[in-house]
Amino acid sequence: MSLLAIRDLTRRFGGLVAVDGVSFDVHEGTIKAVIGPNGAGKSTLFNLMTGFDRPDAGAVSFDGRDIVGMRPHKVVAAGISRTFQNTQLFEELTALENVLVGMHTRLRTGLVGGALRMPWTVAEERRALERASYLLRLVGAEQYAQTHAADIPHGMRRLLEIARALAAEPRLLLLDEPAAGLNNFETQSLSKTLYKIRDEGVTLVVVEHDMGLVMEVSEEIVVIDQGRKIAEGPPLLIQKDAAVIEAYLGEEGAYV
Amino acid sequence: MGTVAPRIRFVLFAAASVVIASVPFLTDDRYLLKILTFVGLNAIVVAGLALLLGFAGQISMGHAAFFGLGAYTSAYLTTAHEVPWLLAVAAGTLLAATGGLLLALPSLRLKGHYLAMATLGFNEIMSVLFVEMRGITGGNDGLSGIPFPSIGSFVIDSPAAIYILVWAVAALAFVGAANLVRTRPGRAMRALHGSELGALASGVNTVGLKVQVFAVSAALAGLAGALYAHSVGFISPSQFSLEFSILLVAMVVVGGTGSLTGPFIAAVALTLLQYVHALIPGLSKDAAALIQDWEVDISGLIMILTVIFVPGGLAAFLKRRRSGAGEEGEIA
Amino acid sequence: MGSAELLQFAVAGLKNGSIYALVALGFTLVFGSTGIINFAQGEFFMLGGMLAVFFVKLGLPLPLAVVAGVLATAVVGLAFERVALRPRRDSGPLALIIITIGGSMVLRSLSRHAFGGNELSLPAFTEGASIVVAGAAIERQALWVWGLTIVAVAGLSWLYSKTRFGRSMRACSLSHEASRLMGIDTARIVMVSFGLAAVLGALAGVVVAPLTQTSFNVGARIGLKGFAAAILGGLGNPIAAVVGGLALGLVESMSIAFISSTYKDVIALVLLLVVLFVRPEGILGRATREKV
Repeated sequence: MSLLAIRDLTRRFGGLVAVDGVSFDVHEGTIKAVIGPNGAGKSTLFNLMTGFDRPDAGAVSFDGRDIVGMRPHKVVAAGISRTFQNTQLFEELTALENVLVGMHTRLRTGLVGGALRMPWTVAEERRALERASYLLRLVGAEQYAQTHAADIPHGMRRLLEIARALAAEPRLLLLDEPAAGLNNFETQSLSKTLYKIRDEGVTLVVVEHDMGLVMEVSEEIVVIDQGRKIAEGPPLLIQKDAAVIEAYLGEEGAYV
Repeated sequence: MGTVAPRIRFVLFAAASVVIASVPFLTDDRYLLKILTFVGLNAIVVAGLALLLGFAGQISMGHAAFFGLGAYTSAYLTTAHEVPWLLAVAAGTLLAATGGLLLALPSLRLKGHYLAMATLGFNEIMSVLFVEMRGITGGNDGLSGIPFPSIGSFVIDSPAAIYILVWAVAALAFVGAANLVRTRPGRAMRALHGSELGALASGVNTVGLKVQVFAVSAALAGLAGALYAHSVGFISPSQFSLEFSILLVAMVVVGGTGSLTGPFIAAVALTLLQYVHALIPGLSKDAAALIQDWEVDISGLIMILTVIFVPGGLAAFLKRRRSGAGEEGEIA
Repeated sequence: MGSAELLQFAVAGLKNGSIYALVALGFTLVFGSTGIINFAQGEFFMLGGMLAVFFVKLGLPLPLAVVAGVLATAVVGLAFERVALRPRRDSGPLALIIITIGGSMVLRSLSRHAFGGNELSLPAFTEGASIVVAGAAIERQALWVWGLTIVAVAGLSWLYSKTRFGRSMRACSLSHEASRLMGIDTARIVMVSFGLAAVLGALAGVVVAPLTQTSFNVGARIGLKGFAAAILGGLGNPIAAVVGGLALGLVESMSIAFISSTYKDVIALVLLLVVLFVRPEGILGRATREKV
């Protein structure tokens, strides 16, 4: 059974159909890429999958459970985490604190427990700090642990956002253009990180423009153009797909 | 946060505690003790308001009304029904919290700052109710003969003892708030202030958290109000005006967002400003009257000037300035 | 209750409603161009009345004093924007709202210093007894209230739909960034919208002063009601502000007729909270979903 099943998903903004009857599956333990020209509807698709937006029609089922209409924080608790195309870090918090916020759904301390600093609060905090440090190491951002997010270099910010998303212990991680703005070296280390994350048992869906990265890491690719799915399959087949080549040639030249 | 080492913070807290605790041993001036008790009461409200405004980024213009709600509830229960003091204070606190919950729930679902206006309206409505519900509130004459705090047969009736009681509560409020901002709910508050989208994506129920923080801050205001009623023995509607609400907001703004120390200092300073005439011994009567007359203007102007010129407030001076983008703890 | 009495309450409702509508328009204008709720809006209302009284006491003839009161308030509105809000215009809404809160506090307090703490009254614009229509007495000043409201609304809609400036204002309310790129001087638009909001508030304050008296502390409550009216209609839409104002006036007046006058001020807030709860986009507003 697939971990995530998307069926006939449709979202309109006024007269514009941003996502138009899209269906696909994501299987547990795989890395799937979603590609397509700018404005194809990829980010809208992510919003629909994470409770940030509601579809006009269609279904999203995660592990057999319908998640359409769930509020974003419930989706996170259910096991889907995401990052944003424009990173949404907490600039005034340190990198470590950013990751700790990411653990929100996995920690229990409430207002009363936090204010009274009960023994179990202290114990939970200690465990949380250990795990947050581990996640920073996993993405290679440990040297910035005590740095405010606002002062962290651009490439590292994307990795920090991934660490924060992982902190929620998701089964499915959605990354929105993780390589945007990264240099070659950073992109390479990103692909290694993605493998590491998958090897920890997390399933990944990646929206990405960097075709090198997409072809390297993904096992399956879904191609979206003007809100519609125009192709789906393993990288080698997608590279040869006539419709895909046309969609890309139409917009920004020989991309593939 | 984070820039002052925990040890230094602890030393500062201990030093402040010693100074505050030693006051009753240094003076027996009843009036002075009373003024300093008011400072402590305002500090209790500000501890909650600093969490709400400074950490969660939500503004309330109705905290004077919550203060009044706590005061009237506790005063009414002890005078009319002879409810034990502790129980009456708890009821006042709880009622204020419930009021906060009911007010915040509809307002906080919305974007923008509708909460500000809803709380302003709440303050106005409560002002009307405090006057009109004569059977409970005594109308414009207010309620008098409110008993001193007592537990069983132990009565706290000297100015020094009341001072100590209020400041003990204030200390607990600040320690609790300081603990809170360093654990899960506090981090989530600071997070949603920074990026609401990021907080949602981290699994924070942003609306629920804001409502909770609002209720807690309303509860602290209600608690301070109840303590106020029993320390002065007399309450009337004019004491819980919109002006007081704005003054409380001014304390947090001037103190600086994202900080507890700053608002605390501002609470002390802006409360004392109201009583300058009594605190400076040699002050002429005219000068004292002048200051009292312009006290509201001074507070308002300080608030505006702070937002324009020192968005970080007093806290900005307490922290070492960081280099780079993104000023810390500013009102955004 | 007889139909004449009912009509009497309706007249009172529409009279107060027009005042709410003018104040609500002020909120809407500023919200449209800046996205913030201007807490000093009620103080413009207060200043209009107080300044007109002041000018009458100086010896100015009434019509001149009224105009001077409105214009002087406009100057205060422009100056407030320029001095207090402009320096932080790139900040988020919270900072700006706090500035308007502080501003309202200072304006109120300064007004007390300048004009005293007592209630003041302004002579009616036209002398004479009330006019009786179908058994309901209508004060001559009420006709001024309606007349000026119609003039203000007509003037504003002309400005909005027929002038270059109005188009720039509408563009501004959609997106500051886009407007700036199109060459619109957004700073000027914001300043003028504060000036206009001050004019609308002052107009309301001046025209109602002969009926109700005025004092330094009337601003907060009228500001609250004006805001309730704006929310009731749907914040950001001028027509909705007028409809919301009239509706609020009528509801208030009918609640006095059928319930009690003690809690008439409570009605506005309860209505405000109910609308916020049930239909935050207002009666006339269209539901919008936010795109991430």
